[in-house]
Amino acid sequence: MRPLWQIPRNSLFWLLLSVVISIALHLEHLPPWVALAGIVATLWQIQLYRERWRQPGRLLKWSLAGACAGGLFLHYGRMNGLEPMVALLLSGYSLKLLELHHKRDALVLIYLSYLIIILQSLFSTTIVSSLLVLIALLPVTAALVAMHGATENTRPVAALRTGLAMLLQAIPLMLVLFIVMPRIGSLWAIPQKTSATTGVSDSMSPGDMTKLGRSGKIAFRVEFDGPIPAQSQLYWRGLVFSGFDGRRWDQQGSWGYNDGKYLQWSDQGLEAWDSVIKRRGEPLSYRVTLEATNSPWLFALSTPLSPSPSVALSRDFRLVNKNPVNAKLQYSVKSWLNNQLEPKSLVGWRHKLELALPSGFNPKTRETAKQWREQTPDTVALINRLLALYHQEFIYTLRPPALGKHTVDEFLWGTKKGFCEFYASSFVFFMRAAGVPARVVVGYQGGERHPTENYLLVHQYDAHAWAEVWIEGSGWLRVDPTAAVAPERIEMSFADFFSEQDDFLSASPFALERLRHINWLNHLRLKLDSLDYAWAKWVLGYENIQNDLLLSLLGAINPQRIALFLLLAGGIALLPIFIMLYLSREKNTRDELDRLFLQYCSRLEKMGLPRQSGEGPRDFAQRISRCAPGLTEAVEHLTELYESARYGEEQEAEIKAFKTALRGFKPSRKVLLSST
Amino acid sequence: MIKRWRKVFNKRYQQWITRRLPPIKKIRLDNRKLFIFPTRAGFVFFALLVLLWLIATNFENNLIFAFTFLLTSLFIIDVFHTFLNLSGLQIEGGRATPGFAGQSAEFEYLLSQTGKRQRYSIEFSHPGVDPAVVSLAGKEIKAIYLSIPVKRRGWFQAQRITVKSVYPLGLLRVWTYLQFDTQALVYPGVIDAPLPTQIAAGQGDKPLPQNYVAHNSGSEDFVGLEKYRLGESLHHIAWKQFAREQGLQTKHYADAIDDELWLDWASLPGMDSEARLSRLCAWALCFSEAPQPYGLRLPDLEIAPGTGRSHRDAVLRELALFGLPKAAGEKA
Repeated sequence: MRPLWQIPRNSLFWLLLSVVISIALHLEHLPPWVALAGIVATLWQIQLYRERWRQPGRLLKWSLAGACAGGLFLHYGRMNGLEPMVALLLSGYSLKLLELHHKRDALVLIYLSYLIIILQSLFSTTIVSSLLVLIALLPVTAALVAMHGATENTRPVAALRTGLAMLLQAIPLMLVLFIVMPRIGSLWAIPQKTSATTGVSDSMSPGDMTKLGRSGKIAFRVEFDGPIPAQSQLYWRGLVFSGFDGRRWDQQGSWGYNDGKYLQWSDQGLEAWDSVIKRRGEPLSYRVTLEATNSPWLFALSTPLSPSPSVALSRDFRLVNKNPVNAKLQYSVKSWLNNQLEPKSLVGWRHKLELALPSGFNPKTRETAKQWREQTPDTVALINRLLALYHQEFIYTLRPPALGKHTVDEFLWGTKKGFCEFYASSFVFFMRAAGVPARVVVGYQGGERHPTENYLLVHQYDAHAWAEVWIEGSGWLRVDPTAAVAPERIEMSFADFFSEQDDFLSASPFALERLRHINWLNHLRLKLDSLDYAWAKWVLGYENIQNDLLLSLLGAINPQRIALFLLLAGGIALLPIFIMLYLSREKNTRDELDRLFLQYCSRLEKMGLPRQSGEGPRDFAQRISRCAPGLTEAVEHLTELYESARYGEEQEAEIKAFKTALRGFKPSRKVLLSST
Repeated sequence: MIKRWRKVFNKRYQQWITRRLPPIKKIRLDNRKLFIFPTRAGFVFFALLVLLWLIATNFENNLIFAFTFLLTSLFIIDVFHTFLNLSGLQIEGGRATPGFAGQSAEFEYLLSQTGKRQRYSIEFSHPGVDPAVVSLAGKEIKAIYLSIPVKRRGWFQAQRITVKSVYPLGLLRVWTYLQFDTQALVYPGVIDAPLPTQIAAGQGDKPLPQNYVAHNSGSEDFVGLEKYRLGESLHHIAWKQFAREQGLQTKHYADAIDDELWLDWASLPGMDSEARLSRLCAWALCFSEAPQPYGLRLPDLEIAPGTGRSHRDAVLRELALFGLPKAAGEKA
């Protein structure tokens, strides 16, 4: 059976290319057989077009569709996630390729190509992948042009050229829309993509941080409004661990507060816990651009406040996002470094919680702690005594020996070699055993200052664990036992401290960072990073700066100004098109000649020689030469030119001649007077 | 009720269109004459934009916003491109080739432009006709033809033709209605099995017109009998056959003329005038293929025998316009 309608050859070419490109873009998160099905469908359609193969039967088509849906279900085990949905869309889209019976079918495929290609941005937001998406839109547009283009011109290149021109012309207007159009925030819950990320997790066992120490990935970037504070001030709090089971630290105490909830959203009034926080001095303000973590917690300096309505402040003074962070997230924070947290008292159950220790673990540490407490009743002196012990006998290393059941005992009195989590864990355990409320804090410490741009890069290897102890009257105090062992680690950046050790970045063998001692490569790495950061700031997290940007552009944000701006900027964006319109405007030669003739008449009229109605140009000229013989020559010349322009062959040239002659025709009353 | 309103609306709309776009010889399309509106595909594309916007909003993904706005801008840019594909185009009503009633007349339209723009896929359509598609490149003149069905003989003016284009993206349609003052002459419909075959039958099996014209007024060769029709001369009634109770029939004769043939109105008695004209028309077509001169006799007009194309056209023209009021579009 021959189809009634056949897609133009050049359109088919671009359409098939679009299908292949859309599949290729999604290859990474697609079961391989879906891609294979797409390629087979493409080949089939080529053979169909060449009339080598026949249309697949209805039964075959339906069973293919069923097989795809079933296969996807088996592959993902569910259909409601983002990946299965995109995979389903893609397989249906590939099968549709076998059904090009009407123009409608081809249009559906082209529109779906647009959709599927753009959906790639849900999975990857890097500059490179965005450029790929942009380029992939080109063949789709070419397919659309070829569908409606000339029937006689079947060369694919012509359609591509038109498509390219149109896309390029659309870009300025896109920028205007991007800048101005408001972002209203997510409307309903959406399926999220699921993928593994490296980063701080919600519990900590010995060795966890050490693993992070080998990863050179970016955790987040921070841009301060003022100068970047000293390295030793930069403790990025992420999680607070109060529970310990002998090996693992985890979060506790997220309920049970009778004076409010555990999380306080900023749009519900952040003053709620002012009674338990004392903030002094001027806050630091900065913006953090966090890479995807798939977890809700955010990182900030103590003690933070964020104006964003989707960010909450927790009871342990951390920031928590409403949803897990699945893509780059930008948030602004104000932090008061000079602060006191819960200085007056701890509620009974919390006091107990921060002292709780699992029984049957680390007997030697418990024993020692009790002895020390008796010898040193002052808490601060006790802390200093323990820190002094660390300083004298301990080694800070990325390759700590493994620990058995009594992790703290073995570390404190045996191996004496460890990474930050070993120190934090043992310190908190010791303090609790000595009767001082204490907890572990996990996050990042320090960061790398970008040499040219004013921002800080925090890498995964900057992940850090430290302790907070509670002292009545002062509240929670930060104590970093690592600083006692290796003070340089805190004062310079982690990378500078560890770059000599083999294990540094062993998880990222190809990271440019491994080569940071080669100067130009290091320079290149930082240049690339600043590009990446600009991308994150200006594009991916645009909604965070949109308000400020519009405010500085418009002075005030109100509908009138936005509309005005849209009109003005949109007009400018469309300027190339208007110029094209103007340039290609074909002059209506006849109109122009009429206009010129009227001009000629009005000049004579000013002299009191109006043309009478129904008087032809020739008669008019004769009458004028009778009335004003001084004008005879000029008028006759002009009339001749006019007539040849009106009735001649080469209109454009002759109109020009008439126009030039008219320009020189400036009759004055003098001529009239002198002639009479 | 609704039907009536629609009728009233349609009438008003037609009046408005006629006022806005009166019949003309030549026209340059510009923004005053062109209409532009999204096509169905354009509305679907708009739905795609809404979907993308929803995805961007829900996933709070600025890249998807950017691409959504890119496609939105593409839509807006397309307005200009689609418009420019027709704007500035000059269309002139060209010749109209005469046709026969019941068949179609061919109308010619000439496309030209003063600029050099490439224009693609411009569609000309007329109710009941397959549209013709044409592209125009540079300063050329292109002719496009529409074969428009014609029903009745006489002068025929085509209805408004629609000139439209959806190039380049098919999201918008720009169109205009044009009514040209070109008229096509419609000859009477040709009726098959014309009388000359009777003549031929009398002469053996020579297929086409010989030196005979059938009539019942001459007296040379008897060609046959026909049923009597009211108003026929009593002289030609075949009384013998009447006596054999075969009904009233008239005798028909054919004149044998060596040089001249006449298409004679009077030779077709008992038919209504359209039927006569149709037959005369068919004969004229037959005779025009033969070398002998032929003439036409109509009740109020006679064309002297002649040959050739222009003679044939003159004969057909008289047949087409016979009995019609002169005022109905007679052209110089």
